[in-house]
Amino acid sequence: MMRTPRWTMLALAALAVLALVSAGCAKKVVEQPPSTTPTPPQQTPSQPSTPPSTPSDTPTPAPQKSPFSAADLQPIFFDTDMSSLRDDARSTLDQDARMLRENAGAKIVIEGHCDERGTVEYNQALGERRAQAARDYLVQAGIDASRIQTISYGKERPFDTGHDEAAWAKNRRAHFALQ
Amino acid sequence: MLRRIPPAPVLAVLAALSLVVLPALAQAPQDVRIDLSKGGTRVPIHVEALAAPGRGGAPSSVDADEVLATDLDHAAVFTVTRSWVAGQQPATVQAYVGGKWVVAGGQVRLTGQVLDFPGRRPILVRDYAGPAAEWRSLVHRFADDVVLQFTGEPGVASTRIAFVVREGRNKELYVMDSDGAGAVALTRDRSIAQSPSWSPEGSLLLFTSWKAGTGPQVYVVPARGGKSFLISGRKGNNTSAAYSPDGRDIACTLSLDGNPEIYVLDARGGAPRRLTNNRAIDTSPSWAPTGREIAFTSDRGGTPQVYVMDRDGGNVRRLTYDVSYTDSPAWSPKGDRIAFVSRTSAGFDVYVCNANGSDARIIAGGGYNENPRWSPDGRHLVFASNRGGSYGLYVTDLDDRPARRIDTGGREALSPAWSPRPGGAR
Repeated sequence: MMRTPRWTMLALAALAVLALVSAGCAKKVVEQPPSTTPTPPQQTPSQPSTPPSTPSDTPTPAPQKSPFSAADLQPIFFDTDMSSLRDDARSTLDQDARMLRENAGAKIVIEGHCDERGTVEYNQALGERRAQAARDYLVQAGIDASRIQTISYGKERPFDTGHDEAAWAKNRRAHFALQ
Repeated sequence: MLRRIPPAPVLAVLAALSLVVLPALAQAPQDVRIDLSKGGTRVPIHVEALAAPGRGGAPSSVDADEVLATDLDHAAVFTVTRSWVAGQQPATVQAYVGGKWVVAGGQVRLTGQVLDFPGRRPILVRDYAGPAAEWRSLVHRFADDVVLQFTGEPGVASTRIAFVVREGRNKELYVMDSDGAGAVALTRDRSIAQSPSWSPEGSLLLFTSWKAGTGPQVYVVPARGGKSFLISGRKGNNTSAAYSPDGRDIACTLSLDGNPEIYVLDARGGAPRRLTNNRAIDTSPSWAPTGREIAFTSDRGGTPQVYVMDRDGGNVRRLTYDVSYTDSPAWSPKGDRIAFVSRTSAGFDVYVCNANGSDARIIAGGGYNENPRWSPDGRHLVFASNRGGSYGLYVTDLDDRPARRIDTGGREALSPAWSPRPGGAR
């Protein structure tokens, strides 16, 4: 999660440098549209902290598509006490499954979370069910089960520490991280 | 049908015997004229400042006076007046409680005594000695003996409470005296620790931790501090661990088969035997003190409810139909009652019912009141509540007095577990 802003910054910085370089040169650098082909496995996040080489040093023609990150997978949300998938969760998972198919090397952890209403131990079980529900849907969508781990955080790691329905709704979720 | 251990008649006999025998053990003149408290009435006693030659020094006898009076007040069997508080001179009480306090050479010697009223004849006289640094434990032991004198069963001032402290995104395991003094951290994992549970003799604590990074696992840690050891790190959730009353087994929730079920492991975490077999969530096992039954939570009926089963997993029955959405069962140490929580539109209330599910009544309400756990004498429940704003620990004496907050030194405290008596004595 922390990586996303940094990568965005780096990508922006790279773009800015490129813009300066291309403005200084007469040669026109054609910016490539985002690739629609699957990212090669070697670019997937085995070494996500390696900074990209600076464009001024090397004749890289264009910024590469930023590596696949957990932020490319959208979380899904659940109704109170429920671990069954809502319609909006299914369509979100369809997109997530597409991203996972396009990044075939990515291995993920699905975290199951709950709101604060419910006991510690019951929510630990409920969080696991939510993570499993998301996993089962992705597997049905063709994602290899060996790429997916699940982990329940129960109500221990709320995303919104508020105590109202708006906060609770955000905290009843299955959330994606990279292994 | 329900097995109550020890049976009420036995307790009554023990109580009567102790009243006869214990004053003799204390080598005091036998002049017992104390009425046993009945049905919620409290015995009026007057606590007198401890005589302290050259009063002062450290630890101060003034502190000891207040610890003693507070212990006796919290025992929930006395109405306490204090000699050092203006306007609390006794009109009619059952007894005076006081004694002598001598600090010398890094040692404290407390001579505790109970005197009858108004004659001031000794009923109980007993010496307690130890390092000055552990002076509070001497006072607690005397207070527990005073409770024993009046009720036939020792008090619980010498017990401890394990709990969880929220520190930012993390939770660490702590333990403190039951009056809130001497809190120390047992984990510094910068992870999530949860669900502490005592071994029957009070030397170990089971707890759940996420520190391995692969999900919740069950660990054990010495209650006096030290390295923790993995008990169960099986695939999926490993949570809700509780020692059987004989300490030979551990009930816990595992999802190694893909669904949260209650298992019994041996005390080292091996040889899992599955007790529940249901597509629902089954969790939060709490042993009956006989070890023959286990209360637990299941949502097999749609919403979470407390059920009871035999220790082999058979004979499952719902605990109560009077209250809906119940969870977090805690079987009382005498076996006669079960505490649990019930979800409301505004949070959780703490309830207590008979072990057969009858006579459920609310004990603590308003806001979130969670995780009730019994004191080893069954006279009190500790629970976590956010009624004061942030989460803290509260003790109810199961009577009409308001629950009192335990001072946890400003820490946000959750998930309490009350220790057995020292050494596991019942």
